[in-house]
Amino acid sequence: MSILADTRVSRRSLLAGAGAFGLASMVNPKVSWSSDGPILKVRSYADIQTLDPCFRLAAPEGDITSVIFAGLVVTTPGDSWGWRPMAAETIKQLDPLTVAFQLRDNIGFTDGYGQMTAEDVKFSIERIADPANKSPYSGDWATLKEVEVKDKLSGLIHLKQAFAPLWTSTLPTPSGTILSKRAITELGGKMGVKPVAQSGPYILKEWLPKQRTVLVRNPDWKYEQGAFAEIHIHPIEDEKTAELGYEAGDLDYTWTAVSSISRLKQTPPPKTTVVEKPSLAFVWLGMNQDVAPFNNPNMRRAVQYAVDRKAVVDAAYFGAAATATGIIAPGLPGHREKNLFDFDPDRARDMIAKEGLAGATITLDILNKTERLTAAQVVQSNLQDVGLTVEIKQNDSGTFWTLGAKEGDYYKKLQMIISRFSMQPDPSWATAWFTRDQIGVWNWERFSSEEFDKLNAEGMVELDPAKRDVIYKKLQDLMEENGNYVFLTHEVTGIMNRDTLVAGLKPNGEPVFTDFKPA
Amino acid sequence: MIWRTLRRIMREPLGAIGLTLVTVVVLSAVFASLLTSYAPSKISPAERFASPSLLHLLGTDHLGRDLLTRVLYGGRVALLIALGATAVSLVVGVVLGLIAGYGPRWLDNVLLLIFDAVKSFPTVMLALTLVTLFGPSLYAVVLVVMLVNVPGYARIIRTQTLVLKSAEHVMAARSMGASAGRILRVHILPNIIGPILILISMDIPVVVAIEAGMSFLGLGVRPPTPSWGAILNDGFANIRDSYWIVIAGGLPIVLTTLGFTFFGETLRDLFDPRLKGRS
Repeated sequence: MSILADTRVSRRSLLAGAGAFGLASMVNPKVSWSSDGPILKVRSYADIQTLDPCFRLAAPEGDITSVIFAGLVVTTPGDSWGWRPMAAETIKQLDPLTVAFQLRDNIGFTDGYGQMTAEDVKFSIERIADPANKSPYSGDWATLKEVEVKDKLSGLIHLKQAFAPLWTSTLPTPSGTILSKRAITELGGKMGVKPVAQSGPYILKEWLPKQRTVLVRNPDWKYEQGAFAEIHIHPIEDEKTAELGYEAGDLDYTWTAVSSISRLKQTPPPKTTVVEKPSLAFVWLGMNQDVAPFNNPNMRRAVQYAVDRKAVVDAAYFGAAATATGIIAPGLPGHREKNLFDFDPDRARDMIAKEGLAGATITLDILNKTERLTAAQVVQSNLQDVGLTVEIKQNDSGTFWTLGAKEGDYYKKLQMIISRFSMQPDPSWATAWFTRDQIGVWNWERFSSEEFDKLNAEGMVELDPAKRDVIYKKLQDLMEENGNYVFLTHEVTGIMNRDTLVAGLKPNGEPVFTDFKPA
Repeated sequence: MIWRTLRRIMREPLGAIGLTLVTVVVLSAVFASLLTSYAPSKISPAERFASPSLLHLLGTDHLGRDLLTRVLYGGRVALLIALGATAVSLVVGVVLGLIAGYGPRWLDNVLLLIFDAVKSFPTVMLALTLVTLFGPSLYAVVLVVMLVNVPGYARIIRTQTLVLKSAEHVMAARSMGASAGRILRVHILPNIIGPILILISMDIPVVVAIEAGMSFLGLGVRPPTPSWGAILNDGFANIRDSYWIVIAGGLPIVLTTLGFTFFGETLRDLFDPRLKGRS
């Protein structure tokens, strides 16, 4: 009897078949499918805590809000920074102070909130800009005068002064997202983790805290649909854990640990593309100047001298990342060539002895990630060498990103942190978080400088790249001179995804979910 | 008495292995500073991920720290927590067990309810809760160990006390006017502490595993304090490139738990033959 003729299925053959299928799936992971089409499974480095673009806390929230709420324009994937219209049919800068927009005629809000109108554009932009709403991103619209509604679908954005970052780090980012005026008003002015009146190519289907966020195609989206029927976003804080999740077949796309990039490039997992992208992000060691012992400027300076930044970065990133000279990455106006204060442990020891603070104990708060812990341990060792004891406190992302907030009370004892900010391709996005009105919002070092605020405002309205370069260099000088900061690195971004997938990535490796496609 | 007991243990193959391992672990922890010239927390970036060599017998970790040194000093932490927390658990468990077994019925019921309630919490959940409340530290580990062990010890003591409560020598002491405290101290405790000590020797590996597990998860002792669990975690993060770190962290845990388990089982077989063969 031939094999083909024998069609009986025994329990043993069924089990053997299932086992072989499982093994084959592990060896050759393919795209998962739902009843409506392929599923994309990606990792984000933090879970969502809010989906209100006005009050977002971390970049992964922006990645989601950018696809469930339509903005006037959206960042395009590729190796250079650019944008394309999303909710806007047309959008054009008429002069340095005026932008005209015309909305597409058929963009609707879910949950019965009707069509998107110019009134919603006015509401959304002015809502972020209004100081009364205390959005941490009000600086993205720092020179907004008003949004003028011309008719149902068109209007003008009027600026008080020219605004350099408008087309790079304002309009294409979640700060340019359009929400439903009626929906937000009914919610009392603020949205939480349950999005209302969604309008983008995808809508949020479910959110399981610490497990996954599921986006599905918006059936009412009339323009180019996302290639994936569902996007499952898994919050995994630690990159090393994410790598294991990827290799187990649970993810199609993830950032890797910087320390793994070299190994993964040499021996990538089967059917995997590994790429390295330059990062704009910045990582630094910060000291809270309102809390002892860092209310003493000499103590802050001593720490700047005590920390061997190269050792920190080499240990944490396996030599794959370079040390930073500030918070503005190479290639952007304002990038500095060197630091003002660098590793000099003898000088640090002298300063600490003079202040009589040898033996002081300091708590260093960090996010519980492998690289951050390694960096913290080198800092701990450096400071121990100059007579300071450091206790490292690891925090999960939910706790960490609220440590310095004025709404809590931990900021009163927060002494030292290692932190990392994502970045948009304009230097103003780096410096905007360290102004006085950001104290207790994102300025956890409570750095306070009138001169800094004035220069920062000048930088935003200055259109001459050469003059901006000077301004932003000076801003970083002020930060470093005040002693609150030890600039560590801009990192690099390691990414791996299945060969069955074309990942839509911004130049810095951040995902544009609508542009992920099956290969 | 002690020498005779040790000789009896050494005559049993498992006992000999267990006692040898326990002795090696304890002595290496106690004399760690004499066995290595490196400081356990001193980083040396230039020597990161050095594979095992004559200079570094177990290699170095991601910060260039000598792994043998960290293993030896990590033994101090493991044993300090295992012995310290178990001893404190024993004292608390004995006191509560005696009170439950010898005290009034209503108090017995209340204490039993508390023991069962505490015991019902999964260890990991308990650890997470306590660390959230108090932050990761050595004390948090000790507290977790106590909460895990005390109900078990107290229940056993209570049962033994209930049995002895109506024994003839206790009834006699009571009829002669002995106080409750004296009866518990002189007539009950000495008769029930033996089995408990054997039980404790078998619980030490569990405590070592709890400490290592909590430190592995970042809930235990804070860096840079050396801990076997923390070494394991460092190794896990770099297992593809530097396998020896995981081995350095895992080996002492395996040897210590095996040693104390063999030692405890041999003790049990020698002093309570009725339980021989039971796990």
